[in-house]
Amino acid sequence: MKNLIYIAFMLLCAQSYAGVAVIVHPSNASSFDDSTIKRIFTGKEKSFSNGNKAIPIGQEAGSAATEEFNSKVLNKSSAQLKAYWSKLIFTGKGTPPKEASNDAEVLQTVSGNPDTIGFVSSSAVTGDVKVVKEF
Amino acid sequence: MKLKTTLLVAALTTMTAHAEINISGFASINGGKVLSGTGAPQYGIEPSFLADYPIVSTYTEDFSFSPESLIGLQVSGDLGDGLSVTGQIVARGANDYDAEFEWAYISYDINDNWTLQAGKKRLPLFYYSDFYDVGYAYVWMRPPADNYTWQIFNYEGVNLLYNGSIGDWGLSTNIYTGKEDDEENKLLSDFFFRSPTREIWEDIIGGVVNLSHDWLEIRLTHMRYTNKRFVNGEPTMWNGQDSRDGKFYGLAVNADFGNVFILTELNKLKLDSDFDTYMVSIGYRFDEITPYIMYSNYEQDGEGDTEKHDTTAVGVRWNFHPSAAFKIQYDRVKDDSFDFAVAGDSKALTFGVDVVF
Repeated sequence: MKNLIYIAFMLLCAQSYAGVAVIVHPSNASSFDDSTIKRIFTGKEKSFSNGNKAIPIGQEAGSAATEEFNSKVLNKSSAQLKAYWSKLIFTGKGTPPKEASNDAEVLQTVSGNPDTIGFVSSSAVTGDVKVVKEF
Repeated sequence: MKLKTTLLVAALTTMTAHAEINISGFASINGGKVLSGTGAPQYGIEPSFLADYPIVSTYTEDFSFSPESLIGLQVSGDLGDGLSVTGQIVARGANDYDAEFEWAYISYDINDNWTLQAGKKRLPLFYYSDFYDVGYAYVWMRPPADNYTWQIFNYEGVNLLYNGSIGDWGLSTNIYTGKEDDEENKLLSDFFFRSPTREIWEDIIGGVVNLSHDWLEIRLTHMRYTNKRFVNGEPTMWNGQDSRDGKFYGLAVNADFGNVFILTELNKLKLDSDFDTYMVSIGYRFDEITPYIMYSNYEQDGEGDTEKHDTTAVGVRWNFHPSAAFKIQYDRVKDDSFDFAVAGDSKALTFGVDVVF
């Protein structure tokens, strides 16, 4: 019984924490699929489908949302991602997304700038931003 | 890679006029030794493992940290409106840690897709050429030595970068032109000719096309140049001429299936004769531990004794820290030439830590 409660508790936790939401400014009506999001966050796509410049906002390596985003959307471990960006940084071919330190900071930035795109834990989403995809 | 909250908000919400300075860097502390080897007694070369031709990283039977250890510092000033200046200083154990600017260029983003750059840069000949020094960015101890043999690895010039997409394919291209006049080329002076050798590659014109789609990446390249050489101040003559033209062709195909990955490169340099190189490597990611194997081959076309050697390597990369990787690699080099011997056969063990910051 104790085990059952424990499992149920873990499932609840998993449910409330699993999930990362990709968010943009409410005015951004661009279309997004998995590949577009992946390309924007790896520097291969520089604009939204509405023609505006796309500024990706990442999160610091340790945050839960980052781990989820890296593994579910980019399909890369943080070490692989770091290797990928090292190659671009030191050859003058690209710079990684700016990093916010938590969900709140991403929400603040994205709700204030129509050119940005970010990701936060699904549970952190507010009405100030638009969710374009959940993973 | 990090930015404080206030800076981030400020940078994104206001237009500021001052330059934003970014400092980043990389380092590799590598050590190793030759376990056994023949050397090339006909040239007075003791048992050696030449891990990097251009900078003559030579391991011998005495353990050493010098051949491949290095530290690099990159400073980049973002002047706004797409203009930036970047300098990269590298200090190498192979050069007694004398720090030198190896990259110094100005970069201008014409728009979201096109970037124009000018200055001193790495010559992007092979797939790994322009980030060869950043060990953290690849799985092995080093890209295969007997593929990455060419003596010139920097150039001064202009290049135009494109970065965009076609449907679901990522497309990036680089067109470059320039010249390198290496007053005392290390590989030729210290290793092959044992006399001060000035090596000039001029009228360099090259292009790179890189296509990527999900698990697949394809890189095509072509480069031409005119070679002039002075050994002890005397011009080298080839077929009665004091210059010769070279043409380089390269194809790299990488497939990454998540845990399993395959890396390949196939290259040809047409000079007086043809020089063919290729490599194949396969690895498997067990979370942060990645064992790999690699085979590389170098062959000069022609009759009789030509330059021929190959390397078989096995190793492991372990990402033991978010910004650092430990690697250990065993290399077996077979040198099949006599007159054109490089350093003879060897078996070597090397290991090290790569970091980025």
